[in-house]
Amino acid sequence: MSSYTEVSQVNADEEAHFVAASEVAQVDTNNKEAAQSIGEAIPSLPPHVVKDLLSIGVCVRCIFRFFGVRGCAYSCLSLLPSDLHHSSVEESKDSHDCSVGFCFKASENLNCVLAFQESEDEPVFCSICLGILQFAYSKEKEMLVKKDSASEFAVSIAELVKQEGHQIESFSLEVSVPPIILANERAIWLYMKTKYGSESWFQEKLLTEHTSVKDALKLSIMDSLGSFLFGTGSEDNLVAPGSEFSEQSAREADAVFRRSLDGLPDHLFCERFTLPPERVNQPCHLAFQCYRTPIYIGGRYLKYSRNVSQTRWIIDDERMGQASVEEIIGSNMLPILRGDDYKFHAAGREDIDVRMLGSGRPFLIEVQNARDVPSCVAVKQMEQKINNLEDRLVAVKNLKVVGNQGWTLMREGEAEKQKQYAALVWISRPLEEEDLLTISSFKDMRILQRTPIRVLHRRSPLEREKIIHWMKVEKITGSSQYFLLYLCTQAGTYIKEFVHGDFGRTNPSIGSILGCRAEILQLDVTDVKMDCFLTE
Amino acid sequence: MDDSANNNNNHDTASASSCVNSSQQERSKEEQELHELVVPDLRDLPVTPSSAVDSNFVCYFAPDFMKPGHDQYIYRHANGLCVIGLAPTHVALKEKGVTAIDFNVGKSDRSEIRVSGKRKKNAQHFEANTALCKVCTGDAYYIVRCCVKGSLLEVNDRLIDQPGLLNSSFCITG
Repeated sequence: MSSYTEVSQVNADEEAHFVAASEVAQVDTNNKEAAQSIGEAIPSLPPHVVKDLLSIGVCVRCIFRFFGVRGCAYSCLSLLPSDLHHSSVEESKDSHDCSVGFCFKASENLNCVLAFQESEDEPVFCSICLGILQFAYSKEKEMLVKKDSASEFAVSIAELVKQEGHQIESFSLEVSVPPIILANERAIWLYMKTKYGSESWFQEKLLTEHTSVKDALKLSIMDSLGSFLFGTGSEDNLVAPGSEFSEQSAREADAVFRRSLDGLPDHLFCERFTLPPERVNQPCHLAFQCYRTPIYIGGRYLKYSRNVSQTRWIIDDERMGQASVEEIIGSNMLPILRGDDYKFHAAGREDIDVRMLGSGRPFLIEVQNARDVPSCVAVKQMEQKINNLEDRLVAVKNLKVVGNQGWTLMREGEAEKQKQYAALVWISRPLEEEDLLTISSFKDMRILQRTPIRVLHRRSPLEREKIIHWMKVEKITGSSQYFLLYLCTQAGTYIKEFVHGDFGRTNPSIGSILGCRAEILQLDVTDVKMDCFLTE
Repeated sequence: MDDSANNNNNHDTASASSCVNSSQQERSKEEQELHELVVPDLRDLPVTPSSAVDSNFVCYFAPDFMKPGHDQYIYRHANGLCVIGLAPTHVALKEKGVTAIDFNVGKSDRSEIRVSGKRKKNAQHFEANTALCKVCTGDAYYIVRCCVKGSLLEVNDRLIDQPGLLNSSFCITG
């Protein structure tokens, strides 16, 4: 059985407002325009061809598509014969006399023909669009659904969206249909060419220029969907980015199908496919999905614990460290936003045993399918909630909802920014006054670091030049060999290796400068000098 | 803080300077808090802390490896990488000590290898008895072996110019 998936993506920033009165008026106007468009289109349809197509199981909308009818004709809510009849009668009152008869005649023929279709006992599913443009589809348990009109279909979609409980302002609709439809369309066209190719109305371009099933479906329901969801609909029918992975792979499969079909010459096509396409007994399956494009919340985090990793770190089912910054922040935000999942992104990282103090490190939380977009007050509450957790392992600052630019803000300049640290250092001999002067005298000192042994298993062996912008020693009262080292370095500098030298692979190092053995006991990041998510 | 006053704007300047004052005060309050967090309690610190090597590596020794007096160390990191070197009791480090080191042993010059990339392309596979280098004292030379089976990533080429490091800073930079 063929199946098609329909995805409705909803994206918005503010709360929805529902204007009931205008929606009805809107629908009415659309209907009138659509009816007018149809009334104009019908005369151009050769009746004998229409009859033929209907008899082989092609639905009304597919007939319109095949003859190049465009635009708002599809948004006519229902294509019942009686509506068509009425609207064309109204139209004919205003149009010229010479066309009156013509209108009538064509619509009469169509009327008869449609009546012919209706008198059949079985529901006929279009052999081209497989019921899609007739708003008929199968649901999971072999249940057949047939909506009488586009607006009924739109209502059922709108209901599904409302069930999710999103607060939205606009939406975009994404439709994907089974690729066999392409083959069906080509089969019909070849059948028509064989039978009617010599007739005057037949134009070669019919195959490539017609409205596709996807576009016809979108045109049919966009406006009414918009009206049912809120007062206005989205003009933009384009696919929104950020679709799920399964969607992507489906599209790739479609592309392969399309390519192989395009590569097939007509005579081979006729051998492999039946002309015209066979009748179908069942419509396709409809799968519906609705989700919001991700929202981003940015801020700066502080880490007070030496036993908390930045991201979730699990080896052999065992967690390393007590908790992770990612989980503390994300798990406290997710329920408030009623999202499905979150992703944590930070501007750089620190080891599990290094604290992040001072102004904090910029980070971004990407929330998938958030049902509620938080207001400023709600964001403040989230911040307080995280900062008042019992453990006090992590704190956040300057939390706020950011748009897509938050991403670029964080990534840009990540490699150039300077970082400030405070390190607790021990040396193998007593500290002297001279040492303080020596260390403070270095400005923008260049060091060469080979990839530290502790990360050499997963990073390339390279020699990297780094800059130590300045250093300052602070003595610790009561100790001659312990002292605090404050330093400001280029991003990407390994501080621990700079202190102990890493078997001489970092040069110069504190040990080599002071001419003795140096060890680092504790390290704290005191400043991440970046412009994003600062206190305003 | 600049207190230059334009008499007409005294009030404004005063409030501006008090604004600057308070933000400066806030900044130094933050700095104070930071300082308090950073300064350690000496009572928690050991008189002599363990070294980076002891904290991060498991130290193995191979005494008399294949020959008497050929004592070597192998420091193994949790990530599987090993650092191989001469133990302080190695016969080469007695008396006058090492004068030169030559990485050209076996089939290739070990100091010429260039390993690249995360996958460590071009790393040569060695067995425990593969020769890494020769160290020369005044009158003899000793072969240093790999002791473990693995791929060679890097040699300490500083020893070529400064073989004396082996005598002075063995176990740390030698």
